[in-house]
Amino acid sequence: MSRWLPALLALAIFGALASMGWLAPQHLSEPVLERGLKSWDAFPPFGTDSRGRPLLEYAAQGARVVVVPAALAGCLVAAMSVAGGLLRCVGDSRVDAAVAAFGEVVGALPRMVVILVAAILIPSTDRSLVPLALAWAVLCSPGAMDEAAAVAERLGGARFVEALRAHGFSWNRIFLYHIVALNLRPVIVRQACETMTQVTFLELALSYLSLQQNQSSFTHPDDLRSWADMLKLGYPALVIPGVGTGHALAAGLFLVGSVVLFARLGSFSARAR
Amino acid sequence: MVRLFAALALPVAVPGIIASLIWALPGDPAEIICPPELCSGTAELAARWNLDGGPWQFYFGWITSALQGQFGNSWRVLQGEPVRNLLNEAVPTTAVLLLAGMVPVLMAAVAGASGRVPKVVAPAFGVFGLVPAVVLALLGAAAVELKLGADSFDAEGTRMRIVAGALVLGLADGAFSDTMAGVAALFSSERKQRYVQIAMLRGEGAFTNMLPNLTPALVGQMRARTLQLVSGTVVVEVVLRVNGIGDLLWNGTLLQDFGVVIAAATAYAVFSAILLGMQAAAEVAVALWVRRAPTAAPHERSAVVAHTGGAL
Repeated sequence: MSRWLPALLALAIFGALASMGWLAPQHLSEPVLERGLKSWDAFPPFGTDSRGRPLLEYAAQGARVVVVPAALAGCLVAAMSVAGGLLRCVGDSRVDAAVAAFGEVVGALPRMVVILVAAILIPSTDRSLVPLALAWAVLCSPGAMDEAAAVAERLGGARFVEALRAHGFSWNRIFLYHIVALNLRPVIVRQACETMTQVTFLELALSYLSLQQNQSSFTHPDDLRSWADMLKLGYPALVIPGVGTGHALAAGLFLVGSVVLFARLGSFSARAR
Repeated sequence: MVRLFAALALPVAVPGIIASLIWALPGDPAEIICPPELCSGTAELAARWNLDGGPWQFYFGWITSALQGQFGNSWRVLQGEPVRNLLNEAVPTTAVLLLAGMVPVLMAAVAGASGRVPKVVAPAFGVFGLVPAVVLALLGAAAVELKLGADSFDAEGTRMRIVAGALVLGLADGAFSDTMAGVAALFSSERKQRYVQIAMLRGEGAFTNMLPNLTPALVGQMRARTLQLVSGTVVVEVVLRVNGIGDLLWNGTLLQDFGVVIAAATAYAVFSAILLGMQAAAEVAVALWVRRAPTAAPHERSAVVAHTGGAL
């Protein structure tokens, strides 16, 4: 199967989510009570909440909350993967030991605990997912660096670089093309995509937990809604038959599924031949 | 060495970092406990809560008390309540949840090691593993509420919530599928090694031959999975309303209760340090085992002794 199709689909999903986030309204529209809890077929594409406001606005605001922080986290993990792979190619045992020590210490921290401790520092007037997403990326980076280093090791590490230098290739071509683009690419893209998905899940979890206790989320200001709001709105449909909020749950799950699909397609499109 | 150093440093470093964060926030730390617009006597309060001497004094005071089993008092969650009491209630619940959550993970490891997982099943579990913990926890909470209704918070309800939480921990975020795939990949690549094939030709078991070489990697994988489960307890406990350390830490974070946060985060750090120590110990034990000269079977040994006249 061609890698272009999955790549295009992944880009299309990311583009759609980014566009939704870009075009998201600053505030939800005014309630229209007579169209409350309309299903997706009565009020496309996602239906309405209990006050008749379109769930599309929830979806757009949720995309606005996650897209940029997730992309930043993905970029950071990708950069750390590149660094991990290239550092292994340097072939310096002290550098390898330092990278291993960083991985041991950072990898030993329970991620959610670190995120919660970091969340306390976010001022209530300036809530954003960005610092938490970057913290999550740092916590993910030892695994990504380790995997990239293993790939570089299998490639031959410093001996591979020496061999290509003997063929007269420039440093830039060896490191950026032969090592990063041709060999580390699958690891880098997959780790970045997985981190983006995890950041989205993290936002979902933190916002849902806050909603459950009627508190403000750490990840976004109070005037924005997250996809967790859709799950919270739809949850009663699971336990109370006929409550009519199942469409909100389905829409929330659809959005979560689209992020998972994006990550899978992105990873697939960058796989080795 | 790095692992042992990290194991020793974690429980000391985590409260240190949190103590420094308390002073990194704008304003006087005592104002978190007693906002000036709500109460007076902030200075006396700061002195009573050891917040008047800066982060170092607070940190060393807290560490000294913690070594004696005292973790200070809650600032906001249950103001004035000793955190030790809160931890005494929370730790056993989280331990049970974690142990139960390890059951699916261990089953996945055994299935992966056996190499008998049908090829159709593995991708199915992989798809299931894509579901985030918060979504599965929601389904678990709904299942408990549907089953028990208003009684879902009594003793039986709590048991059901823990079982549901364990299933969520063991299955969500790829815990089951990734463990199975990871262990299967380890064993599959090791089975192709020449020494294993020779051992099989000699009539020896492949598993017993591979185990010493695979143990460090297996222990490392299981530590990572356990840590993933530990992280997941926060989400699972809050969504399923299980009163464990994760729930305590979440409440402490929401209310900026540093008394609770510092103790709960340190509890997690101690647990992580124990896991690191166990991994280091397992690696040392395997290294010692592998370094030993291979011992001959008793009948071979006696034949050697007879042949050489005991000169060996």
